[in-house]
Amino acid sequence: MIHSYIRPRKKTLFTQEIQLLLSFFSITLIMLFFTYTFLLYKNYVFIEEKNTKVLAKTNLEKSFVKMKAQIHYIEQQEYLSEKIYTKNRVLKDSISNLFDLVPSRITLSEAKLLENGLILYGVTPNKDIYNFMLQAPLRSIFHRTYSSFYPAQNGWLHFVSTNYIDEMEISDEK
Amino acid sequence: MKNSISRQHIYLIFASLFLLLFVLIFAFGVLIPEGKEYRIKRIDLKKMSKELYEYQNFHNETLDTLKTLQGKDRRIITAFDTTFSPYRFEKQNKGHFSQLSVSALELAGIEGDFAVYEVNTTSQISSPASFYNFLDSVNKSDWIIAINFPINFKRDGELIMSSFTMKVYANNKDKNSSASVSEAK
Repeated sequence: MIHSYIRPRKKTLFTQEIQLLLSFFSITLIMLFFTYTFLLYKNYVFIEEKNTKVLAKTNLEKSFVKMKAQIHYIEQQEYLSEKIYTKNRVLKDSISNLFDLVPSRITLSEAKLLENGLILYGVTPNKDIYNFMLQAPLRSIFHRTYSSFYPAQNGWLHFVSTNYIDEMEISDEK
Repeated sequence: MKNSISRQHIYLIFASLFLLLFVLIFAFGVLIPEGKEYRIKRIDLKKMSKELYEYQNFHNETLDTLKTLQGKDRRIITAFDTTFSPYRFEKQNKGHFSQLSVSALELAGIEGDFAVYEVNTTSQISSPASFYNFLDSVNKSDWIIAINFPINFKRDGELIMSSFTMKVYANNKDKNSSASVSEAK
C-alpha cells in the first residue's frame, strides 16, 4: 500500500542546518587559528628583528668605542706634534735672538745653549764694551750671570759668560 | 504536552554552545595574551629601531669627525708611524749643512702613548741662517723631531761646528696604538 506519491527523501546526517553550522564553525575556527598564527609569526619576526637590531647596535657600539680611541689618539698626536713644532720655532727664535744680541765688536768663539742657561765664549776689545753691550742685555734675560776674563795675545780679552734662569722663579712666574 | 524541540536541535544547541565556549577560552586564554605580547613587542621594536637610528646617526657623525681628523692630520699620523732613518734624514737635510752626521737611533723612553728615541747630531754650518732653515725644515720632515738641549756652536775657521741631540717621537708599537694610523692610510 502506497501512502505517498513522491519518493521518500534520503535521510542524511548533514542536513542543511548542520551544513550551515559546520560552515559557520569552520569559518570561525579558521579565523581564530589564522589570527593566532599571524600573531605567532609576527612575534617571531619581531624577536628576530630586535635581535638583529641589538646585534647591529652592539657592533656600532664597538666601532664607536674604537673610533673614539682613534680620535683621542690622533688628538694626542696633533697636540704633541704642535707642542714640538712650537718648541722648535721658539728655539729658532731664541738662537736668532742670541746671535742678534752679540754686538759686532764682540766675537763669539763658542756658544752652549742649555735647558736653563747659556754659556758664551768669545773675545772682546775691553771689559766696558762687554759689560755695556753684552752683559747688560744678558742680565735682563737671565737671573744669574757670571763673567770671567783672561787676556788674549792681541791685547783683547777672552771672556766666558755663564748665564742661568732659575727654574723655581720660572715656576713662580707661571 | 508534546516536546517541540527535536533531538537534532538539541545537538545543534550543544554544538553551538561548545563552539562559543571554545571561542571564549581560546580568545581569552591564548589570543588576547598573544595579542598583548604582539603589541609590546611591536612598541619595543619601534623603540629599538628609533634608538638604533639615532645611534647610527651619532656613529656617522663620529666617523665623519674621525675621517676629517685623519684627513687633516694625515702628515702627522704618517710621521708618527714612520721609522726614523738616519740615512734618509742626512739625505734630506744635508743641503742645510756643510757636513752632517747622525748617530744611530736609541730608545730614550716612553712618554704616554709614544716612544721617544734620541739621535746625536754633529754638523758644520756656514752661517746661523743655515741652522734656522734646518729648524724650519725639521717641522716639515717625515718624522716628529724635537731639537733638544744642549746645543753647542763652536767656531771652526770660517765654519761653525754644531752638535745637538734630537728627540724623535713615534707610536709606541707595544701599546698597539697604531690602529688609527693603519686606517688613516
